[in-house]
Amino acid sequence: MHAANEIFDWVADVLKQQFQIREEFLRPDARLVDDLDLDSVDAIDLSIRLEEKTGLSFKEEDLKAIETIQDIVDFVHERL
Amino acid sequence: MSASRDATQGQASRQKRWSRIAERGSMWGMRFTVWCYRSLGRPVGVVLVHAIVAYFFFTDRPGRRASLAYLRRVDATPAGRAALGRRPGLWASFLHYRAFGLSILDRLAIWAERTQDFAYAVEGNEICDRLAAEGRGGIVLGAHLGSFDALRLLAERQHRIVHALMFTEHAQRINTIFRELSPDVELHVIESDSQSIWSTFRIRECVRRGELVSILSDRVDPDDRGRTSRVPFLGGTVELPRAPFLLASLLACPVLLMLACRTGPGHYDVFTELLTDGTAVGPEEREKIASELLTAYAQRLEHYCMKYPYQWFNFFDYWGDEASS
Repeated sequence: MHAANEIFDWVADVLKQQFQIREEFLRPDARLVDDLDLDSVDAIDLSIRLEEKTGLSFKEEDLKAIETIQDIVDFVHERL
Repeated sequence: MSASRDATQGQASRQKRWSRIAERGSMWGMRFTVWCYRSLGRPVGVVLVHAIVAYFFFTDRPGRRASLAYLRRVDATPAGRAALGRRPGLWASFLHYRAFGLSILDRLAIWAERTQDFAYAVEGNEICDRLAAEGRGGIVLGAHLGSFDALRLLAERQHRIVHALMFTEHAQRINTIFRELSPDVELHVIESDSQSIWSTFRIRECVRRGELVSILSDRVDPDDRGRTSRVPFLGGTVELPRAPFLLASLLACPVLLMLACRTGPGHYDVFTELLTDGTAVGPEEREKIASELLTAYAQRLEHYCMKYPYQWFNFFDYWGDEASS
């Protein structure tokens, strides 16, 4: 999972399968809070899944600027 | 546009109404009591607390009804009836309010006077010792049963770091007073920032450093946004937040129940129980683990309510009986 589109597909799949978010909401510019209604428990859940998938380790300071699905994709892509 | 959950109604709104009343009363009442306590001493503070308690008891009808409803549920069990020691009537309800007032006074003693006069009977301390020896942190599930500040004082004596997760503005305001009282004391408060969904990482960082993070888990917060479950509790079912239990299962860390129940002036019984040692599980198992933890938590809380019935400080329609009728 190194290409940006692969990361997006994986994140979108997790959001769809595990967080029951409908497919039409899963656009790159979808905002995690305002559009997808994620909360802090979802955020740590998603991050832990990402960590398990990529072997990366995240901290709050790293993630503060993340607002959209694309931000997650860019963040992970830059570090892989 | 919202993709999934609706805001939580029910317990959160009932609690919010009570919180507003309690906050309004407790802010001026506490400032005045602090002044009396410092200027005139504890005996005057005790008299004043009784006057304040009497005022709230006679004017707070919803709170009184909630107290009676709770005491009747405790009385419906043989163990609870024995611990109550009297019929669940107005006198028992007044004693319930009084216990709350005296616990606030103890909080003041802890914060204003930095008292070391508290005596503890401690059960389960070896659990904390073992975790500390292993360098492991964990989540401490607390409740509005007994006194968190008494627990905090004990942790301080034992040189343990226990962070308190604060969800509500209400808690923050009350803590403002305690900050004023003891500006030198490190509070170890993690303020859950509703503006940042990433603030939960602070909890994980504390746990990874081998520290404990306590979360009061017996009330639904408006921020829980529908993430709640109904579980059996004292002969009915109550709505409890799922977030602390999901978080615990996500972090796969030890989860403790810790309570400090007042048994007399300056005396507390402290209980620590290990609810899970925190085995890592796959994503598909986490919801199940969270549900099991939630049920276990409610069962143990029920046990301690029946042992220390007057130490339960949720003076609102906890079962939603009035809302449903």
